[in-house]
Amino acid sequence: MNRLKDFVEDEILSNVTKPLRYVGNEYNVVKKEWESVKLRTLFAFPDLYEVGMSHLGMRILYHLVNEQKDYLMERVFAPWTDMEQILRERKIPLFSLESYHPIKEFDCIGFTLQYEMSYTNILNMLELGGIPLEAAQRSNDDPLIMAGGPCTCNPEPLADFFDFFVIGEGENVILEVLQTITEHRQKREGKQEKNILLHDLAQIPGVYVPVFYEDKYNEDGSFREIKVEEQGIAPRVVKRTIKDLDESYFPLKPIVPYIEIVHDRIMLEVLRGCTRGCRFCQAGMIYRPVRERSKELLVKQAEELVTTTGYNEISLTSLSTSDHSTVKELVNDLTEKYKEDRIGVSLPSLRVDSFSMDLAKEIQQVRKTGLTFAPEAGTQRLRDVINKGVTEENLMEVTDSAFKAGWSHIKLYFMLGLPTETFEDLDGIVDLAYKVLRKGIDIMKEQKRGRQPKVTISVSSFVPKPHTPFQWEPQDTLEVLQEKQRYIKDKIRDRRIVYNYHDAPLSFLEAVFAKGDRRLGQVLKKAWEGGCKFDSWTEHFQYNVWQQVFEECKYDPQKIAYRRGEFTDNLPWDHLDMGVSKKFLWRERDRAYEAAVTGDCRFNNCSVCGVCQNLDVQLMIRKDEKGR
Amino acid sequence: MIVRLKYSKTTEGRFMSHLDLLRTMERVFRRAKLPLAFSQGFNPHPKISFGSALAVGVTSEGEYVDVELTRELPLEQIKESLDVAMPSAVKILEIKKIDTRKQGLMAVINVARYQVEIPMLGSISQAEFDEALTKVWQVPTYQVERRGKRGIRQVDIKQGIFSLVGQVIDDKIKIEMELQTGSKGNVKPEEVVKMIKELCEIPLGENMRIHREGLYIKVDGKLITPMAI
Ligand code: SF4
Repeated sequence: MNRLKDFVEDEILSNVTKPLRYVGNEYNVVKKEWESVKLRTLFAFPDLYEVGMSHLGMRILYHLVNEQKDYLMERVFAPWTDMEQILRERKIPLFSLESYHPIKEFDCIGFTLQYEMSYTNILNMLELGGIPLEAAQRSNDDPLIMAGGPCTCNPEPLADFFDFFVIGEGENVILEVLQTITEHRQKREGKQEKNILLHDLAQIPGVYVPVFYEDKYNEDGSFREIKVEEQGIAPRVVKRTIKDLDESYFPLKPIVPYIEIVHDRIMLEVLRGCTRGCRFCQAGMIYRPVRERSKELLVKQAEELVTTTGYNEISLTSLSTSDHSTVKELVNDLTEKYKEDRIGVSLPSLRVDSFSMDLAKEIQQVRKTGLTFAPEAGTQRLRDVINKGVTEENLMEVTDSAFKAGWSHIKLYFMLGLPTETFEDLDGIVDLAYKVLRKGIDIMKEQKRGRQPKVTISVSSFVPKPHTPFQWEPQDTLEVLQEKQRYIKDKIRDRRIVYNYHDAPLSFLEAVFAKGDRRLGQVLKKAWEGGCKFDSWTEHFQYNVWQQVFEECKYDPQKIAYRRGEFTDNLPWDHLDMGVSKKFLWRERDRAYEAAVTGDCRFNNCSVCGVCQNLDVQLMIRKDEKGR
Repeated sequence: MIVRLKYSKTTEGRFMSHLDLLRTMERVFRRAKLPLAFSQGFNPHPKISFGSALAVGVTSEGEYVDVELTRELPLEQIKESLDVAMPSAVKILEIKKIDTRKQGLMAVINVARYQVEIPMLGSISQAEFDEALTKVWQVPTYQVERRGKRGIRQVDIKQGIFSLVGQVIDDKIKIEMELQTGSKGNVKPEEVVKMIKELCEIPLGENMRIHREGLYIKVDGKLITPMAI
């Protein structure tokens, strides 16, 4: 059909890296007749194709919407800079992968907010599509711009640019949203009256329309409050939650890309949520409660996916897969069933305990190249502060077993700058690395393996996140973070230990955008105008531009990232209810300072976080066997 | 059993790299529920071997791959299930059973035929163009630079050009060329175009379109296709 498609393929794609990022037409792609549906929607991922295609949420929503007769959903990703340059030079608007329609021609565009440092890409994509950036600038003929994903639990820095946000799990909400838009237009012969439509949308539980809320500030520039200013709109928006994962939609014919993507395998979602209760972890708070999918269904889904995709690996994904109550049986069944066909099973991450280690052995995890564990902190005291239920004994036990079973490379994840951290805790990180290394040396010598062990320690910086017990905690200053990074570096003198750490300025900006208020919208816009995009890609990160822009806008980012908050403070995300109560979070913060551990509600008593009480949901554990 | 497939790689297929194609083939056979044979060893991989690799950006209607299966199956059935499982970038044209894997495809294929279309910046007549190609044809040697593992080296490509025919069509020229490929030496169509540009004064544009018509085995001066052996 398509002249743009031919032109792009013939004239442009030979001149860009990875042309297949921009082509579509993959196996299992869904192409619907543009004229055959009532509403045309676009899933927009503000990062590269390889990253976006690996995202499970996109796979779910894309196929869910396309299975509805009245709607279609196509895809668009952030073009890499070489493609962007050509699009601009040739004046080609950003287009969708399925039908090559300019993104401006869609009725509704949904972005997913996976991490704060992708925000500049959103503005860039809108502009490449010829769509006015600010919601207030867009007319009734422009597409509606919406967003979902974890960062919507404080979407305030993006409030200027979006018409509405969907808070919580999107599977059910999305169809209600699309139906409301369709009905609105049908009543008006295809026309749209945005203000009325947004009013209607805001009646759907979980839909947040920022223009109906007003943000206020104190004289010294600090945040005062945010309040609903419109009649008939709820003062707080409560997140949406799926009750039963077995009942919820899961795509069984996902797209299989031509090029290698980040997670190039079957992704089987075994459970949602995590109640281990790590106090820094946002996902562990906002996706509560834990809901497992039943083993029977998972085995069926795996079977289906194996035939529809042809992948040779099944990844059991979730926030903590080894916590699934029947994971052992599941892994057993799958490995047995697919051994002949040489289809492997993998786990995205391993808990630090012998149970997880046994699982890893069973599936020959990552073909013995490397095993990753996350103790997160270097001393028992600090691990208790963050509620990470891992002991040094656990770690030594699993690494012992890993080296003995033939692995030679162990990766350890830590976090720097956690509340109450001292240099003793940093010494603890170094000690652990050396202890693991020594263990590896001994075992590998004993086994007469002709190789040297390798230990990688990856150290990220603590970023305080909304809706966590540490949301009131200050981040370490850049100088302190960098000093701590150097401190560790100086103590590591063995070449068998590899030390990686994150760019501290990036973590600083992440904290600012995670906890910031609406005024950041203009900072974001200016930074993008100054050329910022793909900020999370080191080669594109321009911290100096950000610094300049903060100064120009007279917005002090330190007051956001370095602020120590009080329980009584109003927060820019107070009007968004993730189920977990502020009281629980503050109690957990207090317990952190006492280094008191709070148990997992799956195996211990309910700690009354508020989710089950407030949202009419409950833990869904498939096997009635608490503790192991 | 070993099956040999002849397939085309058109539209978006031209942008698939060799690795993309390898991954895709394995998945296609799995989707088609055909029993792939695997190599022995610690890290088994499916026994799939391709003819000469196709450069990214080049379309083709004559590519070949040999795939080993653990069981005998009727060819029609194989073809039918592969057709359903194949993404749109790749199309199966023919299928054949190979008795034993005497020699790999890579080892026997030695000729590739290309069609190259290049936009012209000025205009020339067919006669002028023929004359230019004759001039190219008569050059005894032509050196190009190749980047290898041991740095840059000079290679003579003239001996690997087996035929060269050109046509002027409106504001484009179309050249058909028969070039050496395979383990004994490899001439790229871009190199031949570079040679023409350098030796003759024809104003040629940049964006050329390369299409591989097929791969062949030259025996005693005759071309036969890999499906015929
Ligand atoms: S309310 Fe209780 S049972 Fe439910 S998630 Fe929170 S702590 Fe667990």
